[in-house]
Amino acid sequence: MNLSDSKKKLAFAGIVCGLVAVCLAWFGNPANMAFCIACFIRDTAGALGLHSAEAVQYARPEIMGLVLGSFLISVATKEYRSTAGSSPAVRFILGMILAIGSLVFLGCPLRMIIRMSAGDLNAWVALIGFILGVGTGVFALRKGFSLGRAHLTNRVSGGVLPALMLGILVLAVATPLLKSSTSGPGSMHAPLLLALAGGLIFGAFAQKSRMCLAGSIRDVILMKNFDLLTIIGGFFVVMLIYNIATGNFTFAFDTPGIIAHSEHLWNILGMYAAGFAAVLAGGCPLRQLILAGQGSSDSAMTVIGMFIGAALAHNFGLAASGTALNAETQEVVAGAVPFYGKAAVIICIAVCFIIAFANKRSEGK
Amino acid sequence: MRKKEKKLVVTFHTTADAMAMEKACREHNAPGRLIPVPRSISAGCGMAWCAALEDRDRILQVLEERKIEQEDVHECML
Repeated sequence: MNLSDSKKKLAFAGIVCGLVAVCLAWFGNPANMAFCIACFIRDTAGALGLHSAEAVQYARPEIMGLVLGSFLISVATKEYRSTAGSSPAVRFILGMILAIGSLVFLGCPLRMIIRMSAGDLNAWVALIGFILGVGTGVFALRKGFSLGRAHLTNRVSGGVLPALMLGILVLAVATPLLKSSTSGPGSMHAPLLLALAGGLIFGAFAQKSRMCLAGSIRDVILMKNFDLLTIIGGFFVVMLIYNIATGNFTFAFDTPGIIAHSEHLWNILGMYAAGFAAVLAGGCPLRQLILAGQGSSDSAMTVIGMFIGAALAHNFGLAASGTALNAETQEVVAGAVPFYGKAAVIICIAVCFIIAFANKRSEGK
Repeated sequence: MRKKEKKLVVTFHTTADAMAMEKACREHNAPGRLIPVPRSISAGCGMAWCAALEDRDRILQVLEERKIEQEDVHECML
């Protein structure tokens, strides 16, 4: 299955992924969070008890499905390669930054696209930050940034994260050990089997098409190549049609129920940190899951970093709150980024700069 | 639509090596351009150097002179 030998096929891959997201939103996922990597990792971290925010605890089968979908398709098509050794500790930190930056914005880059397709102007503002973040990462690449090469390693190593995901899935299905929200976003979810199937399909198509939010912009800036952006275009169009058709399209800033806030500076900086870290790590949160599924232990470290970053974001009150409607007074209560969340984003950006300019190609030789 | 033809594609272990190749080729006036690694070669998302088949010797010479380690040299329809 070659999805990348024409733009039409790439757009088709984006359309399939968009249809999966639509399906999951229709059957219970929060509409504008149809398929958010940061939110779902945060929910899964909560289910494992890594944080105690009761409204966002649920083992999202989509996350397991993405990793396992990528794993299965890469094994089936002989593309599974167990690799490791490209600065794993640095990648762990970048994973934490991806999660914290995303949770200050309230969504990963994929959800930014979903929110944009629902008319949420806050997401369009955040896109500025994301493009600037990717641009800064590209600048670092031009200056010789490198985390060093990965090497082929024992085949089992690359299978550890898929095995862990399978383990979480088994715990979710067969035991009462995992926490599960009874209210809030964590309580809103599509049926388990449907969510798992959606994750598997999304994961397989993302592996075959190399779908990546950061990579798509990186390739445009560096090489004027629009292949990866075509996939995102297909995804966006499907979500846009769905939102318009179902009356979910609201072209505005303060939109209660969207799970978003209108602190523009922090939307921009949150996504700036995520975009910057994504280029340094070699892919957005979605891409990290896919790479981990096809055998990269380095990306597995980034994924584990995202789990820890998401847990810290809630344990330390770094994550933003969404604009909401007060049920009693019917007044709109504006969402906000807490003080420590703002401080964390500044630290994340500073750490990105240190990583970007302290890891040079010549030093690794 | 542009007609596909067979091209020389040099892949690298890191993105930084591909960027170094671009810089070296510019300085040596060697032909070619950066492209995303063709999907038929890799499931990864790195970058490669693409040039015409007849430029193979020139490209390999730049790699040798600048001590840039390539992962592989392919011939692909692009």
